[in-house]
Amino acid sequence: MIKTLRLSFALKNTYRVNSILYGLKQVPLIKKLLPDRLYQVQGLKIFANILTVIWEIISVFLGKFLYFLIMIAGAALLYKNKEADGLYLHVMLFLTVIGAYANTSLFNPTRDKYYAITLMRMDARKFTLVNYGYSILKVIVGFLPFSFFFLGGAKIPAAFCVLIPFGVAGSKAATAAISLWRFERRGIAFNENRLGKFAWLAMGLLLAAAYGLPAVGAVLPKTVSMAVFLLFFAAGMAGIRKIVTFSDYREMNRQLFSQMMVQMDDAAKISQKQTRKIISADLSITSRKKGFEYLNELFVRRHQQILWKSSQKTAVVCLFVVLGFLLAFFVRPEIKERINELLLTFLPYFVFIMYAINRGTGFTRALFINCDHSLLTYSFYKQPAMVLRLFRIRLREIIKVNLLPAVVTGAGLALLLYASGGTDNPLNYAVIFVSILCMSMFFSVHYLTIYYLMQPYNAGTEMKSAAYQLVLWATYMVCFFMMKLRMDTLTFGIMCIVFCVLYCILACILIYRFAPKTFRIRS
Amino acid sequence: MEFLIEHLSKHFEKKEVLKDITFTFESGKIYGLLGRNGAGKTTLFNCLNRDIKSDGGRFYFMEEKTVREVKAEDVGYVLSTPTVPEFLTGREFLKFFLEINSESIRDSRSLDEYFSYVNIEPEDRDKLMKDYSHGMKNKMQMLINIIARPNLLLLDEPLTSLDVVVAEEMKQLLRSLKKDRIIIFSTHILDLALDLCDEIVLLNHGVLERVDKSNLGSHEFKDKIISALREENHD
Repeated sequence: MIKTLRLSFALKNTYRVNSILYGLKQVPLIKKLLPDRLYQVQGLKIFANILTVIWEIISVFLGKFLYFLIMIAGAALLYKNKEADGLYLHVMLFLTVIGAYANTSLFNPTRDKYYAITLMRMDARKFTLVNYGYSILKVIVGFLPFSFFFLGGAKIPAAFCVLIPFGVAGSKAATAAISLWRFERRGIAFNENRLGKFAWLAMGLLLAAAYGLPAVGAVLPKTVSMAVFLLFFAAGMAGIRKIVTFSDYREMNRQLFSQMMVQMDDAAKISQKQTRKIISADLSITSRKKGFEYLNELFVRRHQQILWKSSQKTAVVCLFVVLGFLLAFFVRPEIKERINELLLTFLPYFVFIMYAINRGTGFTRALFINCDHSLLTYSFYKQPAMVLRLFRIRLREIIKVNLLPAVVTGAGLALLLYASGGTDNPLNYAVIFVSILCMSMFFSVHYLTIYYLMQPYNAGTEMKSAAYQLVLWATYMVCFFMMKLRMDTLTFGIMCIVFCVLYCILACILIYRFAPKTFRIRS
Repeated sequence: MEFLIEHLSKHFEKKEVLKDITFTFESGKIYGLLGRNGAGKTTLFNCLNRDIKSDGGRFYFMEEKTVREVKAEDVGYVLSTPTVPEFLTGREFLKFFLEINSESIRDSRSLDEYFSYVNIEPEDRDKLMKDYSHGMKNKMQMLINIIARPNLLLLDEPLTSLDVVVAEEMKQLLRSLKKDRIIIFSTHILDLALDLCDEIVLLNHGVLERVDKSNLGSHEFKDKIISALREENHD
């Protein structure tokens, strides 16, 4: 038993450590420093192993701590005038039922299980039981201290604080036993990652019971909750018998793995399939243009769903938000002053909004998967003049697509500023409008530029560039922190316009200089 | 016309995939490039197609004793997994390609003539290529690559996954194309290489080497190739 546990740990570790090292190898600069023999370096492995052990210990407790802190104690703060002990137990009871079927570990097909059972041919029953035992132990050990801390703190008797972790584990074991029994009868394995609609419905109802009932004043009496936890424990003990004697773990896991394979089926393949699905099958879509304009028009019109239609929808939503505010001004004129104040300090916030509604990444992904992935294998398509000509056309197109919601938003903001009482400096209207357009243009240029300069996809349409992801992440972070920034609209707007114009110029210079070389399928 | 490679080399980290490739290819011939898995056939093609940068060496054409550098339009490269822009119909793709290259394509024909040339049925010509079968995609890819009449046509395992009828059609097509150009055909399948190619070239340990067929029957020739591949791997 110890051997199986040790082996499965070693396997999980190797796979985690190698994933970390592989990830490091993808980062530019760092990748040059790391040797090819990286995976053989012992010291590095020991270090990574220590990290994973520490992580394992933290994960036992951290999750449970957050669970108690947020889901139970934190949520309970919302309900005033309720006795904490009854309320805690009430919420926890319903959440435990959800966890019993949605977080089983037994029916969660993971890669390390697949490697161990299918590829390494470890004994499926032994492996599953040992790992399941370990996961149940983690539940109990992880729950115990916080059960004492939170529930004990709410004056629940110590004996029950001890019982509750066992009750939680028992509920998991009991539902697992039922699922195993169903597998024996019907041959269908339960997969916690593919819950059916009834399971989701039940989850909704249970959540409503956990948090909704206390809101209307209905909380299960303490004794009832305690009795149910006791029942869970007893049911769990009975369930363990089934779990230990069940003999078809191999078949059951096989079924789960095959579902997992479809699920993973290489993330790349799934995104490829989905991206292909976007292509409109409407053959009445044609074009009278020639050459690259012809290619571009067909591309844009056959990808309406993610381009024009989606940008039109966004524009309509923006329009309604503006109209909503106008209506609010009419109904409750007292909010005008506050909104007016916000409009004159809140422009940085719109960097994030413009970021969120931009169609840039969807456009570049579709460009690659449905178009460049194939055309880049033809030499005519890679000729520098052709690359640049198509870049210009695409840039114009994506700027146009994104500009529609930007015009609505920009004009809407200027209108709201006027309607909320106006401003002393009329320049503000122009700056708001132009800076929103500039932001939209910036994102359009930005995404297309990093796509052309870093072309992150390989021939299998997998994204293989850590640098590209880093840039996307940095873009997100910058936009996110813009929400925290408060600055006078005029100052920020002018800075924003200058930055966007400079960025666009710089991007175009870089593209003309480097794109003919960088716009290739990643090898 | 000849195509010459001189001292071409490429390494990945410490692995020298192409050591010192020096070879002269003559036009009008189909060369079968044989090598074991991982020998570097695709790397060689990628270098010649300038998809990856080689570490050293050069390659060029020799026309009537004058050296001419290789331009992008000189090379056609057909990959083993056919890739075509799936959002276009076959006809649209062909039309786009002909328009883009209108200056360099001599005596262009009508779209339908091209389709008939590679046996793509009339009813398939206006379908989106995402609905094309593997064989049809392969034909489209081949068609695009041959219309431009590249002087050097590189084929990376192009017939491996085609059904027998399409594979035979493609073979005929390649034979009809070899006049005035150099075709290099990489494959794992020895019989295919022997059936289609005029010359057999081995890529082994990063070096290209011609296998001389003189006076050998096909069976003996086969043995010679296999023992050459085997021996060199046990150096």
